[in-house]
Amino acid sequence: MRKTAKRNPGRQEPTAGTQLGTNLRRASPFLTVFVLLLLWQWVSAREIISHILVPPPAEVYRAFIKAMAAGTLPKHALVTLEEMLYGLLIGLGIGLVIGYAIAKAPLLENILSPVIVGFQSTPIVAYAPLLVIWFGSGLASKVVTTAVIVFFPMLVNTIVGIRSVSPKLRDLLRSLKAGRWQTFRHLEIPSALPVVLAGLKTSATLAVIGAVVGEFVSQGSGLGFLVTSARNLYDTPLVFVAVLTMTAISLTLYGLVAYVEWRFLFWQRRSNR
Amino acid sequence: MLNPFRWLILVTLTFALPTVAQNETVDERILLTFIPNVQFAPFYVGIEEGYFADVGFTVTLEHLQEPEVLDLVAVGQANYGVVSGEQVILARARGRDVVYVFEWFQQYPVGLVFGGETDLSELKDLQGMTVGIPGRFGASYSGLTTLLGSAGLAESDIDLREIGFNAPEVFCLGVVDAAIVYVNNEPLQIQNLASAGDCGDVDNVDVISVASRVDLVSNGLIVSRARLDEDPDAVERIVNGLTKALQAVIDNPAAAYLASLEYVDGLPADPSLMRELQRSASQQEEFLASKPDREAIARSRLQLAADLAEGFDQASLTQFHVLLNTIDLWDAERLGYSELESWQAMSDTLLTMGFLGEDAGDLGAAFTNRFITGNEA
Repeated sequence: MRKTAKRNPGRQEPTAGTQLGTNLRRASPFLTVFVLLLLWQWVSAREIISHILVPPPAEVYRAFIKAMAAGTLPKHALVTLEEMLYGLLIGLGIGLVIGYAIAKAPLLENILSPVIVGFQSTPIVAYAPLLVIWFGSGLASKVVTTAVIVFFPMLVNTIVGIRSVSPKLRDLLRSLKAGRWQTFRHLEIPSALPVVLAGLKTSATLAVIGAVVGEFVSQGSGLGFLVTSARNLYDTPLVFVAVLTMTAISLTLYGLVAYVEWRFLFWQRRSNR
Repeated sequence: MLNPFRWLILVTLTFALPTVAQNETVDERILLTFIPNVQFAPFYVGIEEGYFADVGFTVTLEHLQEPEVLDLVAVGQANYGVVSGEQVILARARGRDVVYVFEWFQQYPVGLVFGGETDLSELKDLQGMTVGIPGRFGASYSGLTTLLGSAGLAESDIDLREIGFNAPEVFCLGVVDAAIVYVNNEPLQIQNLASAGDCGDVDNVDVISVASRVDLVSNGLIVSRARLDEDPDAVERIVNGLTKALQAVIDNPAAAYLASLEYVDGLPADPSLMRELQRSASQQEEFLASKPDREAIARSRLQLAADLAEGFDQASLTQFHVLLNTIDLWDAERLGYSELESWQAMSDTLLTMGFLGEDAGDLGAAFTNRFITGNEA
């Protein structure tokens, strides 16, 4: 028997095949992007779709460099980021508080659910113009639009997370005479965290939609405005730049939450080994 | 050798076939902007009254955003679209080879609306005021830039607020002192709110139209250069159909309103109004049979508005008044004809706004009047 196996008998030595599989899994998102880029280039080169509708990647890259050099892209991206972050903070905060309250008091769920579900099931683009009238055409209406859209996933996941706490563990803490704060801190937060973070992932990606919908309705600045403005000037490569920037922001936020999840849910990693 | 019976069949077929071919129509779609609205009445009348069928087309209508309309026409996914002239200039500067073949709106439809008590006897008094605009794009922004320029002002001289297409609500809430609007529509809505006491301190509204200051090229029918070269006859026939439909709406707005009911959801159509409009439409037909001139027809429209106002409230008539106001923007001696000067004025505005590089390209290639009645080659 080999030495390593002796040292750690419960752990299997990775073979060349499994190592390749792991590497492939890690590289697969980049491969997907690479294949999509190749497909895009191929479609452009053969003019299967007119360049007016789908410009070649090189043209989009040139538009990106130009927008960066002129400061247009960073300026609008920062505006969208600001709206997203304020909207996320407010929407997540309210979602967490109301979600926790509903999880603990089912009567509250009966009272609030018609309003919350009604609001959520109505497409935000339908009432976004009203938000502009109520909150003005500035930052506030976009922050509210974002907060509204990120609120619901957070609310639902908080309710599910808190309600999924094991009754046996609750009984255990009760028998140890744990107070409300101790139960909240040592039981409810750790138990609900995986579900709450899953909600945060969804909310983080939805935040871009909220901010951009707000910008479409009330123009002025932000990536949504950049899309409209570029469309009105028939600058399709710049439209692609703005859309891809939105995608990049979404992916970055998703990645950040995934990192937080990986960092804080270490006990899940251990149990998955 | 053909016997007499066969000769008879041959002769009959020879004369009958072209007749059949003439009666057959080709499916064609026209891309419009905005949403179905009474302002598109010429297209509804063109379909309902057979003006498009008479020239060989079964027309369907689709509504999209202006840039989408233009791009789909440019790449040949649709043959005809209706966009504003400024979009044609911008798109051509970006490699879309489209040609404007019919100027539908003879007057630029944008203007500045403000409360009657606001002192704007001179446009330069706008300095320092808060002005609402849908956004810094499109016809509204071009119109504002032109108005400001005509008064020697710049955007920095006013507090410009982007309010989306919510001018009546935002204006009546007192958020802005004035707003850039479509002169045929929003002023009526604001006036209705003001009359109902729902517009703050505003009792009546005033409008300064862009058209009263500068002649800018406005909305019209476009085709791609490829389509124009490939089948000019079809383009000419569509233009002829549209010209007749537009003239029919100008001549008989009551009939046009009735034709629009099929296409526009929510048009006021209570039975008594319908009866009155049908009566007015028939009466107008009789009047038109006497071959009245353009001024007499314009007076008949004013008389119709006055007659209807006696029997119906303002809310029921708002959309009809929108149609009448819009007709004033269409009516001209030569329907569809566009002037190079109006293209130049629009190009200058776009250059001022920084939307074009240093050159708008060959403006003469952006439009043609060759299909306009009385202007054929």
